[in-house]
Amino acid sequence: MEIPYIVTPRKDTGLYNAKIAIWLFLASEVMLFGGFFSAYVFLRLGADYPWPERALPVLPGLINTFVLILSSVTVVFAWAALKMRQWRRFQVYMSITLVCAVIFMILKGMEYNVKFHHQAVRLKDFTVLEGHLGFEEENGTRVKDHNGHDIEENKIYVKASDLTFSTVRYHNAWVKDIIAQAEHEKSKITLSKDIKVITEPGKPAELIAKKGDALTPKLLSQIAKIHLKARAHNSDLKIAALKEEWKKAKKANPSASDVELSPNVNIDMDALAPLLEDEISAVTFNVVPAAKLQFNPRDIAEGATQSKLRDDTVINGELEPSPMVFHYVDAIDFQNLVMKAREKGIDPERAIENSWLIKNSPFAKEAWQWHLGEVAKLEQRLKDKYGVDKNNQPKRVPNDKERYRLGWKDFIEKNKVELSGFDKFKEEFLGPNYEKRGNATFMTFSLPREQVLHASKFTPAWNTYYALYFTITGLHGLHVIGGAIVLGYYLFCGRKMYLSNPEWLANRVEVGGLFWHFVDLVWIFVFPILYLM
Amino acid sequence: MSAQAEIHSGHDAHHDDHHHHEPGFVQKYIFSTDHKMIGIQYGLTAMIFLAIGFYLMMMMRWSIAYPHQPVPGWMDWMFTSNWKARWLSDGKITGETYNMFGAMHGTIMVFLGIVPLGFGAFGNYVTPLQIGAPDMAFPKLNMMSYWLYFLGGVVMLASFFMESGAAKSGWTNYSPLAGFADGQVVNQFLAGQTQWLIGLVLLISSSLLGSVNFITTIINLRARGMTWMRLPYFVWAMLVTGFLLLLAFPPLESAGIMQLMDRVAHSSFFLPSGLYTKTEGLADLSGGGSPLLYQHLFWFLGHPEVYVLLLPAIACVAEIIPANTRKPLWGYKSMVYSVLVLGFLSFIVWAHHMYLTGMGPLVSTWFQTTTVLISIPSVILITSLLISLWGGSIRFTIPMVWACAFIPMFGIGGLTGLPLAFNLVDMHLHDTYYVIGHFHYVVAPGILFGLFAGVYHWYPKITGRFMSNKLGHLHFWPSLICMNIIFFPMLLQGMAGFHRRWYNGGDAYLAKAADSTNVLAVSVTKHIDLNILMSMGAWTLALSQIPFFINLFTSWKIGRKVQSDNPWDATTLEWATPTPPGHGNFLTEPSVYRGPYEYSRPDCDEDFLPQWVEPKRKTGTETKPNETTPAAH
Repeated sequence: MEIPYIVTPRKDTGLYNAKIAIWLFLASEVMLFGGFFSAYVFLRLGADYPWPERALPVLPGLINTFVLILSSVTVVFAWAALKMRQWRRFQVYMSITLVCAVIFMILKGMEYNVKFHHQAVRLKDFTVLEGHLGFEEENGTRVKDHNGHDIEENKIYVKASDLTFSTVRYHNAWVKDIIAQAEHEKSKITLSKDIKVITEPGKPAELIAKKGDALTPKLLSQIAKIHLKARAHNSDLKIAALKEEWKKAKKANPSASDVELSPNVNIDMDALAPLLEDEISAVTFNVVPAAKLQFNPRDIAEGATQSKLRDDTVINGELEPSPMVFHYVDAIDFQNLVMKAREKGIDPERAIENSWLIKNSPFAKEAWQWHLGEVAKLEQRLKDKYGVDKNNQPKRVPNDKERYRLGWKDFIEKNKVELSGFDKFKEEFLGPNYEKRGNATFMTFSLPREQVLHASKFTPAWNTYYALYFTITGLHGLHVIGGAIVLGYYLFCGRKMYLSNPEWLANRVEVGGLFWHFVDLVWIFVFPILYLM
Repeated sequence: MSAQAEIHSGHDAHHDDHHHHEPGFVQKYIFSTDHKMIGIQYGLTAMIFLAIGFYLMMMMRWSIAYPHQPVPGWMDWMFTSNWKARWLSDGKITGETYNMFGAMHGTIMVFLGIVPLGFGAFGNYVTPLQIGAPDMAFPKLNMMSYWLYFLGGVVMLASFFMESGAAKSGWTNYSPLAGFADGQVVNQFLAGQTQWLIGLVLLISSSLLGSVNFITTIINLRARGMTWMRLPYFVWAMLVTGFLLLLAFPPLESAGIMQLMDRVAHSSFFLPSGLYTKTEGLADLSGGGSPLLYQHLFWFLGHPEVYVLLLPAIACVAEIIPANTRKPLWGYKSMVYSVLVLGFLSFIVWAHHMYLTGMGPLVSTWFQTTTVLISIPSVILITSLLISLWGGSIRFTIPMVWACAFIPMFGIGGLTGLPLAFNLVDMHLHDTYYVIGHFHYVVAPGILFGLFAGVYHWYPKITGRFMSNKLGHLHFWPSLICMNIIFFPMLLQGMAGFHRRWYNGGDAYLAKAADSTNVLAVSVTKHIDLNILMSMGAWTLALSQIPFFINLFTSWKIGRKVQSDNPWDATTLEWATPTPPGHGNFLTEPSVYRGPYEYSRPDCDEDFLPQWVEPKRKTGTETKPNETTPAAH
């Protein structure tokens, strides 16, 4: 059996199979990205926070645009070379295409990497701080945690005196982590009381573990097993008993409805009690001496004396001060605060002056004063350049971003440091050079935890703009990788087909090239909406 | 020359094939690239999923009819003691468990049951045969589509066995509910709600590959002489279904990816600012997202999906009716144009599911208008089928009785939908059992009956044997009666104000508001006893499927053998193949000389003239294939 029209087009449709298929596939791809682009429009129009405009470095994006356009041209040349049966030329052009794909992905990777290490935080009064978090240091060297990693200063610390694990819900990796932390702090985690339970009805209670036994994942899993077995056993008994009760009730009163009967149909727990096994739904351990344990903010709901992890582990103990420490603050952004102030009819400038940050950070206050001067200068410049209208109002005024945001470019303007040309070029790609510009430019700041409303790295969790940015460019990046793998397959493994059926290979490259053009086209849309608008 | 004289018996054909390389077991039955085997795989897998979805429904019906009693042993035997201890409260179904069953019942029935049965099984088996193609255009892609579907189904079902349980936020999976559900699970990839999304992305990929394959096959692999207007209606329906899947599913895929990001990367695509939950307090989120966006993206798929479900069933019925009335399909051309219009309109009606979201009266009015418009092509389709019966000498074979039942059942389903199209009426009926009754009439006794008809109709081609008539009737009549016992009271209950998500069938509501009546002066009290009747109907319906499964599996070996390759004396190309068709389908390359439904032609001795029979003399309507299309290859 042979499928027709794989290589030669069908005469009445003028198409070979794969060509129809790729156009259909691209149609569905248009709908897929269409979904994301409509999400972009929807979320941007409905955003209840100042949409970040031109928040991304334009230069790498621009370079990427041209790199992709170039690769789209070379892929056509590669196809044409195949049509002319010039294998060498095909190899050259296809290689250029692949190199372009690699350059694109490297630039994209650099862009991502910077964001993954860049911290943002929204304070309770909607002031936004951006910058780099510090690492815990002692005498100039970084402190290592129990895993030998640097400790980023964004942890919740609890002086834990005892821990209660939920037997069905505890997360094994976290248990191991807690054990390692306690070891590191030279504390012991031990069972708070004997676990003595009935595991077989009718027999005396069995000692599972003694008070003072050390916490191990094995012990927990053993207890969990006993609990699950007892739970299943008891549930079976209770179900059977309830069914029996219903049978009796129905017999005694056949005409009554379920609703009438149900209040009086109950399991006789006293009769059942001797048959039941003991369930151990939670188990408590003491930490001796109380140890300072650290947790990621997302994993813990902290309280002054009692905190709870996401896996239902309850930690008793004092909450230690757990500030977020910025090693370098590279942006202070009042746009969101101003937006909220305006909603309430408060004067923006007043709201900023009364903001927590301005009141608590002399550096920020000074920077803000300096910035006001800069804004005044800008106002004057705009007035000089564009003039005034008939009401004597300036035709152009600084926008909100210029007025209420101090970005890293403002800070380096404020405190000029001589940098080499290469360093300056690098900054266009990777953001400010913190080491060389130092704390005179970018302040160090310790932010008390209770002021934090929402904190995140520049990841999808920061806001819907970055969520869209990562999802759309990530999916686009996957398309680039997928396309490059297919084109690479033709380049490196296509020789055999070239010798046996070159037209077929040319068709494949044509189809792959169509896909590649689509990937390019998507970028042509992505670049302006995410980088420029 | 009669049509039957030139066709070969199946066994001869099979022997003819033997000089080809015979594939091994794995290649033949598991990783097969043969569209027919893939069709059968789709069919059997889909039936298993349908049974599972049905089982979940039976449990739900217990909770509705007897909310105070433990689930009886004949129903709960499938679960382990441990599972019962986790998910039942002393054997009674809890609200959480009911939600889980409800969400998974919908998901399984729609995505894993009906679509794969209609589009995957029948589409795969029949389409290439009817257009005279040796196989699908991309056989390997076809295989991949099946296995992606299988994997997606397994991922979804696996979540039942995890601590978090399966998804619980309805089959529509609305955010923010779905964005938060199972949020406490540390490893999000082990949460049922996340697995639902992963399963969905796999299923969408599967249907994407499938639809590309179908459309390409239909466009490019038609036999000589198979012009567009000679395509059987089945193929037209598959073409439109393919386009619906191709273009409507991707926006849901994007929504699925965004919701997945919300879950695993803590973004806020669909989560608004200031979300507050009872368990976690103020959510640690950026906020700024839009729950409405999710609903738009979901229903952009959701509505075309209805037609993805429906069209294969209508397609089966449209093949069965002419073959059993012995007269051409009435209004073939208008049906073709209708299905094209229907396909287009189905893309612009989606927000009629969202009248109560507060998107505004202007938008509602637009979608109300398009929704009413789409009833026009639907009614043309169903009317054409109905008129096709007129004046025919009907053979009431088993497929035909199912097909006949399809028309009124789907009719009830469709007509009860009309009131819902109007946003004012919808305000009253939204989220009540009326809606449930409406779309179940479309899907269960409607679409499923059409697909059953298809099973009985093509079974002789697939196996070379008929299914038993007696068992067929034993399957049909109880099914028909039970379906109506279940779904008709739903319409009444809905108008009385039964909310669709009451897990205890209205008991809790009654305790608080027994005397209240609604604008129609009906009360919940009056209709609550129907719950028990409906549930009895549902369980009896399960019993009445037993004859079907016995029939399906035993007739394979002991059914009455077919006497020819064309046992129904039908006219379309699938009956020109040997029985069962070997790899590559046709012994010689088929040519097509006429339209698909040439029954009872006055100028013909027999009451049917198949598409492939060479004309004795040239007439105005019958052209030689090489005059219209160039030779293949």
